Amino acid sequence: MIEVRGLTKVYPPSTVALRDVSLKIPDGQFVTVIGPSGAGKSSLLRCVNGLVAPTAGEILIDGESLTAARGEARRRLVARIGFVFQQFNLIKRLSVLDNVLVGRLSHVPELRSLVGSFPRRDRVLADAVLARVGLAELAHRRADTLSGGQQQRVAIARALVQEPRTILADEPMASLDPALSRTVMDLLRRINEEDGITVITTLHVMDLALEYGQRVIGLRDGRVVYDGGAAGVTDEIVDAIFGGGAG
Amino acid sequence: MRTVSRWTGVAVVLALFLWSAWETELSLSRMVEGLPFMADFLQRMFPPDFSVLGNAGRGALQTLQIAVVGTAVAAVAALPLGFLAARNVAPAWLFYGVRSLLNALRAIDTLVYALFFVAAVGLGPFPGVLAVVAYTTMILAKLYSEAIEAIDPGPVEAATAAGATRLQVLRFGVVPQLLPLFISFTLYRFETNIRAAAILGFVGAGGIGFYIQTYLRMLNYPAASTVLLILIALVMAVDFTSSRIRQRLI
Repeated sequence: MIEVRGLTKVYPPSTVALRDVSLKIPDGQFVTVIGPSGAGKSSLLRCVNGLVAPTAGEILIDGESLTAARGEARRRLVARIGFVFQQFNLIKRLSVLDNVLVGRLSHVPELRSLVGSFPRRDRVLADAVLARVGLAELAHRRADTLSGGQQQRVAIARALVQEPRTILADEPMASLDPALSRTVMDLLRRINEEDGITVITTLHVMDLALEYGQRVIGLRDGRVVYDGGAAGVTDEIVDAIFGGGAG
Repeated sequence: MRTVSRWTGVAVVLALFLWSAWETELSLSRMVEGLPFMADFLQRMFPPDFSVLGNAGRGALQTLQIAVVGTAVAAVAALPLGFLAARNVAPAWLFYGVRSLLNALRAIDTLVYALFFVAAVGLGPFPGVLAVVAYTTMILAKLYSEAIEAIDPGPVEAATAAGATRLQVLRFGVVPQLLPLFISFTLYRFETNIRAAAILGFVGAGGIGFYIQTYLRMLNYPAASTVLLILIALVMAVDFTSSRIRQRLI
């Protein structure tokens, strides 16, 4: 369970990204976060896994405060959440397998990992997950030789080997062409259904958000303006999120 | 307005050139008068005297050794300086301080450092090594810091988000991006240092330059030309090998 309490994020000097946002996301939900650009979607996700520090408010992961945690305890909380980035964030010149193994860093002995050696069971897991996302044959290719859709699947595999309870995906298909965006969304849905992993994904395309989200959260100007089922998203609500027909 | 400023620019450059040419006594006639002497000089260098091949080889080897040791020590010494001179790593006061220091010290060339170190530790290859280290450290630190500033934050974020420790983030997010660049810069400076080390002997800091200077002073041109041929072979061999390796890295 992810809980967000009174979350406010201000980027200096005075850009307010989030204003007093509170949410409870129980285990196993598939949540889509929708809103115009600048509504605070990315900031919300980045606060939830600690990449960005909140200005005010608190993040609770399975009841433990991420905001208060430090050092080792904080890393263990962070490791429970996988993150999928819009730009994939792979290390271009390393192999697909090496990129996936980055997801195991919190599980393996630190000193050993620093010389680039991973225990056998971690490498076996990485291979299995690569097979699952359909990239088994490409494990030893350089990451930057893959297509955008394949790179995003590598990034999803990296999040999966973390064995997370939750996966956050920040506009996972914004860098891909429309045909590929379905592959990525279908993969996330499968992970949600088969593994029971909570998925929270931001999207800027309304119909995808409604199609995939069991629960839809609408953000506008850093505030939650809708939180409920996809069926409840009426034209008025779309209007409230994207505003005055401008969206 | 634009055309005016363009013509002003051309006029300034032209004036600067003419003034400098006058002051440096640029003279076509003097050069033409000198041509027979140049021809004579080259003629006397031929045929090369291969009996000094042993000396030339020893000098070349020492030049190579000075460049190897000097570049290697500098490549390591430049690491901390490179990070301290990177805007995205060091705090502003430190960054500006280190940057300015690097810029100032880089203005002094290897040969000038060699004069300084010969005076300090005496003749031989050792002051040559110190001179190469001094200049190369400054220039590599500058190149490193620029590479560090241009790093892609994506992989760093990805490792952080996976719950990696600080050292793991460095090892998996930063090092893979920087290592090939650092090696490439170092090899490139190694190529340049072979040339720089070749003239260190002129000021008594070891290597092949000692023989070039000695034979020229003794007016033993055939011997000098052998040494020059060996130097050319050395430079070409190092350039070829090093650029091959660099191509594979990136």
